[in-house]
Amino acid sequence: MSAQRIMWLYILTGLAILVLMMLLGITMRMEQAGWLSYDATAFYSLLTLHGVGMLTAVALAGLGTLWYLVSRETALDARIAYLAYAFFIAGVLCVIASVLGHFGALWTMLYPLPFVGASWPGWATGTYLIGNLLVMIGFTLWCVQILAALLQRYGIRGMLGVEYIFRGRTFEAAGRRPPPPQMFAALIVSIDGFLASIAGMAIVIALIVRWADASVELDPLWAKNLTYFFGHSFANLTMYMAVAGVYVGLPLCTKREYHTSRPLVIAWWGTLTFVIFAYFHHLYMDFVQPQGVQFVGEIASYLAAIPVVVVTVYGGVLLVHRSGMRWSMGAMFLYAGMIGWVVGGTGAVLDATIPFNFDLHNTLWVPAHFHTYLLEGVVAFTLGWAFVNLEQRSGAVSPSLIRWVTGTCIFGGGALFLLSFYLAGSSGVPRRVAIEPPPGPAIAAVASIGAIVVLIGLLICLAEGVRLARLPRKETA
Amino acid sequence: MAEGAIVFVIFVSVAAAAVTLMLLLANAGARKPLPQSIVTARGYAVRRWWFATVLVVAVAAFAATIPRLPYPRADELRSSPHFTVVAQQYSFVLPATVPVNTAIVFDVTSRDVNHGFGIYDPAGHVVGQVQAMPDYVNHLPMRFERPGHYTVRCLEFCGVAHAAMQGAFEVR
Repeated sequence: MSAQRIMWLYILTGLAILVLMMLLGITMRMEQAGWLSYDATAFYSLLTLHGVGMLTAVALAGLGTLWYLVSRETALDARIAYLAYAFFIAGVLCVIASVLGHFGALWTMLYPLPFVGASWPGWATGTYLIGNLLVMIGFTLWCVQILAALLQRYGIRGMLGVEYIFRGRTFEAAGRRPPPPQMFAALIVSIDGFLASIAGMAIVIALIVRWADASVELDPLWAKNLTYFFGHSFANLTMYMAVAGVYVGLPLCTKREYHTSRPLVIAWWGTLTFVIFAYFHHLYMDFVQPQGVQFVGEIASYLAAIPVVVVTVYGGVLLVHRSGMRWSMGAMFLYAGMIGWVVGGTGAVLDATIPFNFDLHNTLWVPAHFHTYLLEGVVAFTLGWAFVNLEQRSGAVSPSLIRWVTGTCIFGGGALFLLSFYLAGSSGVPRRVAIEPPPGPAIAAVASIGAIVVLIGLLICLAEGVRLARLPRKETA
Repeated sequence: MAEGAIVFVIFVSVAAAAVTLMLLLANAGARKPLPQSIVTARGYAVRRWWFATVLVVAVAAFAATIPRLPYPRADELRSSPHFTVVAQQYSFVLPATVPVNTAIVFDVTSRDVNHGFGIYDPAGHVVGQVQAMPDYVNHLPMRFERPGHYTVRCLEFCGVAHAAMQGAFEVR
């Protein structure tokens, strides 16, 4: 029960932050559409909070899910989960405080921006940096705990599935089984997350030193590399956190098994590697980067898609195909999340193609693809996993009307909201601007309507979740 | 057709195909369930070809990008006329004119924070960009085939007046 409580604490906190950040996001799109008016300082402060808040929200939900799933395989100390949670919340509170002080260097805070030409007080910069550091410490704690638990449970060769791949017959003849798929998600998130956090803490600590002593100088390219290594990897890993819910939730919906296969293990080895190197695509337009590194960025970005479309999503589709599955809320969100992942991934791969990036870099195409990935992928998986749990617990499913309404709002409204981003991006409208050049404002108006529809769908969905949670627990034989 | 529009069409086509295919696979024969072993066996047989297809597309796409990379070659840097661009909060120091139908190189840097040197053609389409970084000079090779008024916008967030950071030059 304790593990379930921790999972729900993480998921519900994540969803609460998500709704608040969606509200901020909608006001910003409405401001770009000319429907609201506030000054640029407020816009960039809100954009900073929106970025940090959203990533923390989806990460919290995914980390809670994974923590619970790992705890089903091996004992985990709940105190560490609460401590990591406390770091996350303290970090978010610091970021909120910094935003109240008008900090607005955005969540990527590319050096030397937080310090040069800043329109906010120095204490706001320091508070923001400390907030980031606290979030990173919380994430590192989580990674170390999961990594240690997996090592203890399976050993290094076992958790990587090495013997299963290279000595399969002996391995199986001995009656041994590889870890279940969700453990590979936990493993890759904890390894890559740990590496990314080290990079993130290195740059944030360097920035804190610079904040304390203005005579310290950093190399802007070095700072940019570390910033994006952490930022891209953390954002990307939120999907691999959430996908664990698909491995466990979809079999419950289809009454089939999602077992660990050799392609699945090899696919996760690929993900382990490619996620680390994909971040280089954020620096394509830094021509001083060695050209070989730019190639690595493009190759890693392409190859990162293969495990998704050939193994994980493909396996998910096979699980559902001709299973006779009943379309509950949980099943709908889990399956739709896989579609969102593929669609967002398509936008990402196009953006990671260097000649296309030459035109699309830092246009609205970038938020287009990661909003698809996060909203219609990670958030859908989170909702799917939450609803599968509620449906299993109560033995009840939602009325089909509720499913149709929420599905239409979240995916129909989402399509309107997201296509607007893609269209504006392909038309050259810059991202991260309080006032957009044409055709930005007209497109932002359409996007605002789409986003409001999504929010309505999400609120209906959350209300339905509360209704299911209040039903009596299903009696088991 | 502008390159951005081409990318948009590719995206919408691939996304629509993926959504349609996945919805069809979820709903086809839904009322006639099959044992998982049969579905898995069929799916695994198809997966080899699917994997090969995805790999071939990825390799072909990578190969196709090589001749179209925006990065400067050593001979371009030596033989082309250079034009200095300096970005600063919140303006650009730019050449007033650059020659049409001539290979040129912009030497782009920044006096303060990171900026983006984004070039928009007279029709408003992005035709190229590079980051303007303090302590570094990025060399951006360009060839303008269309004369006219080109707008420059900052494409990297640089502070509170970022949205207003613009410049322009003529191509003659």
